[in-house]
Amino acid sequence: MDALRFIAKRLLLMIPILIGISILTFAISNTIPGDPARLILGPKATPEGLEALREDMGLNDPLYVQYGRYMAGIFQGDLGESTYSQRPVADDLIRYSPATFELTIFAMVITLLIGIPFGIISASRKDKIADQFTRIFALLGVAMPAFWLGLLLLLFFYLRLGVFPGSGRLDNGMSPPDYITGMYTVDALLTGNWPVFISAVMHLVLPGITLSAVTVGMITRMTRSSMLTVLQSDYIRTAYAKGAPENRVLYGHALRNGVMPVITLLGMAFGHALGGSVLVEAVFSWPGLGQYAVNAINYLDFPAVMGVTLLIAIMFILVNLIVDTMYFFIDPRLKHN
Amino acid sequence: MALLEVQNLKQHFTTKKGFMGEKTVIKAVDGVSLSIEEGKTLGVVGESGCGKSSLGRSILRLVEPTEGSVKFNGQEIVGMSPRGMKELRKEMQIVFQDPYASLNPRNTVRKILEAPLLIHGTGNKKERQERIESLAGKIGLRKEQLNNYPHEFSGGQRQRIGIARALMLNPKLIIADEPVSALDVSVQSQVLNLMLDLQQERNLSYMFISHDLSVVQHVSDKVAVMYLGKVVEIADVKKVYKDPLHPYTRALLSALPIPDPVRVRNRIILQGDLPSPANPPPGCPFHTRCPMATKECAEIVPPLEEKTTDHFAACIHT
Amino acid sequence: MLLEVNDLSLSLKRAGKYSKILDGISFQVAQGETLGIVGESGCGKSMTALSLMQLLPDKARLGGKVDLQGEQITSFSKRKLEKIRGNQMSMIFQDPLTSLNPLHTVGTQVEESLILHTKKSKQERRDRVLHLLRAVGLPRAEELIDEYPHQLSGGMRQRVMIAIAMACEPQLLICDEPTTALDVTVQAQILELMNDIKRQTKMGIIMITHDMGVVAEVCDRVIVMYAGKIVEEAPVIELFQNPKHPYTQGLLDSIPKLGERKKKLGSIPGTVPTPGNMPAGCRFADRCIHAMDICRSTLPPMINIQENHQTACWLYDEKEAKNDGSARSTELETALHN
Repeated sequence: MDALRFIAKRLLLMIPILIGISILTFAISNTIPGDPARLILGPKATPEGLEALREDMGLNDPLYVQYGRYMAGIFQGDLGESTYSQRPVADDLIRYSPATFELTIFAMVITLLIGIPFGIISASRKDKIADQFTRIFALLGVAMPAFWLGLLLLLFFYLRLGVFPGSGRLDNGMSPPDYITGMYTVDALLTGNWPVFISAVMHLVLPGITLSAVTVGMITRMTRSSMLTVLQSDYIRTAYAKGAPENRVLYGHALRNGVMPVITLLGMAFGHALGGSVLVEAVFSWPGLGQYAVNAINYLDFPAVMGVTLLIAIMFILVNLIVDTMYFFIDPRLKHN
Repeated sequence: MALLEVQNLKQHFTTKKGFMGEKTVIKAVDGVSLSIEEGKTLGVVGESGCGKSSLGRSILRLVEPTEGSVKFNGQEIVGMSPRGMKELRKEMQIVFQDPYASLNPRNTVRKILEAPLLIHGTGNKKERQERIESLAGKIGLRKEQLNNYPHEFSGGQRQRIGIARALMLNPKLIIADEPVSALDVSVQSQVLNLMLDLQQERNLSYMFISHDLSVVQHVSDKVAVMYLGKVVEIADVKKVYKDPLHPYTRALLSALPIPDPVRVRNRIILQGDLPSPANPPPGCPFHTRCPMATKECAEIVPPLEEKTTDHFAACIHT
Repeated sequence: MLLEVNDLSLSLKRAGKYSKILDGISFQVAQGETLGIVGESGCGKSMTALSLMQLLPDKARLGGKVDLQGEQITSFSKRKLEKIRGNQMSMIFQDPLTSLNPLHTVGTQVEESLILHTKKSKQERRDRVLHLLRAVGLPRAEELIDEYPHQLSGGMRQRVMIAIAMACEPQLLICDEPTTALDVTVQAQILELMNDIKRQTKMGIIMITHDMGVVAEVCDRVIVMYAGKIVEEAPVIELFQNPKHPYTQGLLDSIPKLGERKKKLGSIPGTVPTPGNMPAGCRFADRCIHAMDICRSTLPPMINIQENHQTACWLYDEKEAKNDGSARSTELETALHN
């Protein structure tokens, strides 16, 4: 019950946050020098034509009127029209975002599957070889720039060995699975389309690894330090004093306690991966939101920039809400407090 | 006239409970009246959550009291202007439990001791240094040690530095909040001896806040026993320890482990635990654990009454 | 003998090098007996307890011999140690809040010892847990079993810790400052419970504390520790009435006593030497008003004062006392009896 109220409160809190973000983005994108009308009409446009288009796009109205109009549209599901693609922004987002979400979620799965176990191993073998190795690995992950790692992986696994594909979401000539979620792996699984599923997964590997390098590093280090703190705590000593063997202490007592701060960081890591996808998508020609956003910025496509920003903000807030809600189920102290 | 006169002092905190923020009022100090005579020590005892520390802070206005009056030398200090307070703070100082946390680790002891003089613009450079060195001698520090940092001292030395700092401005009253609780007994005794010496020498008044009944008994002239924000008994130290009137005081005294293996113990074991200060029981705050409690105790809040001469207790049964 | 500790020593790695924390610790605990270990912070009393349980940091070096019921547990393998911990010997810690796992229910935590050491069925374990909770004086055991530590008060948490320790009816119970974190009235409840347990079982108990009051309340015999060594050992009444070691005397003198107001308390000048910087002779010599030459050069052996009463102090060595002139020790004796 408390958890439901908590979620409801947090959802309500999203409204002012989103309004804040929209005002900020709106203000920033409209103070950047550059004239969308000129970009659309090109260098040969006549002043009359430019003026007419500006009037038509509402660019001549005061900023707050433009903002009000934009927000009024949002509540009717209208995010405006992309000046570049000439399509409604909402349609574009639906079209491009599944690719990005698929990539980001894949990267988060890698992060969880590698980061947490590595952190645990590292902490339980503190200062031994396994620990040293893991720490160097994690440090490299955090320190290596994504584009560089991406290029290295491409060079080695795609050009040299040819084991993984290097661009796009599916093999050439393969048609996407029936649209359900827009994420190819999920849709292929749901429709039982195995060849497409395998191809989609293979295409995810290199960009996924690139995108997750930083977050794996973050999570490994966090898991390690959090587990080390927990292993020092009095209740761990109590568990040993009861005669519990090491593995039981590690997995029965330390793990759940040690993972808690890591969960918070997972929310941040997800946001990091969403942001990082812009670069990674460029390296691997991944047709997602990142590519779309880069184009939108290049063409001063304000409605598209706004749309992407708001969508990412909403995703980020939702993920953090999920993360915070998980605490309710892990930590009994929150339930009764 | 008493040096410090506290009337019906209240310190209420509002906290949000849980995520949803239902407000609860914690009555940390709930209508306390007491006084301290010049050159005397008032001991304040009680268990955790009884409000004894909040009381000390409230008196010094380190937290603003919710209600009530605090008179120092006849001057009302609740609601006093910041400038007036600054002047008055020279006269009233505080010593904290954890000497390490309350001394700036980046400053030498000399600087730490000089700080209060600088803040109040007392004396010139030479006079300040003389004062620091003379007080340092008093607390058993050599001159050279003044240039050391807090971490280079033992816990007992640090607490003595804390006391010296409190004394720099020649205060009349020192509120000592659990000043020896973090110390080992052999060191604790050094600090207690020092405090008693200084009191005699300078006619200091102390408000000595502690959970340790034997320490309070040792240093105090008068004792106030607190339970859930209220004073339940206050009297001369001998009366409180020899002839406690409030059942809580009796239980508290009988619970104290006595370092004497042959003494026969006649112990009153209280049932249950201290209720939460956020949710105190109605009527007498002690009635839920009191061996003498009757029906009325749950209904009537007993006033602090003079039961015998100068011996006050808040209980309808004594 | 239930527990025999022989020449126990412990070195811990600090700042890259090993330093001796415990040195030459020998004592015994009989069935049904409560042995107190007292001393001030840093004297090694808690480390002694952890050494008995062998719950030590990774790079600790443990020397000497510990026999529990005739078995030399210092030579036990990890697995064999796990079998006796929580089973034949249990331990209770100072801070009951941090000593309980915040994410496990009270029931789960008490039950764990039973899972580890008995072949009881689930139902039998539940019954035993309920029985234990009631035995340590906890109300509404049926509800409590599903509650979490943070829902309990400090005193209740310590009762849960005692229930955990008692789950497999150990022969030896080690209590490390079990009431230090508790309020006086709650401390009284816990001490009462400990005394009940003492009466009802034949357990040997080691009570580690800095509080002479607690020692007087529950112990039969006492060991006084100073800077990693035992300086005095005596039955509890003897220790309080006839303390021999200057450190023990200083300790007892520095406690404020009820009925003695504003009297100057005894105190011990100076500070405890730190591990790694131990003097060659008696470790208390620098702070001792009776120190003689030999005290600074040679470690005093344990000297028998009378049966069951020993102290490590040259003042009581007949030869030394004579060499140094008996005036000093008579002076000491008179100082003591005044």
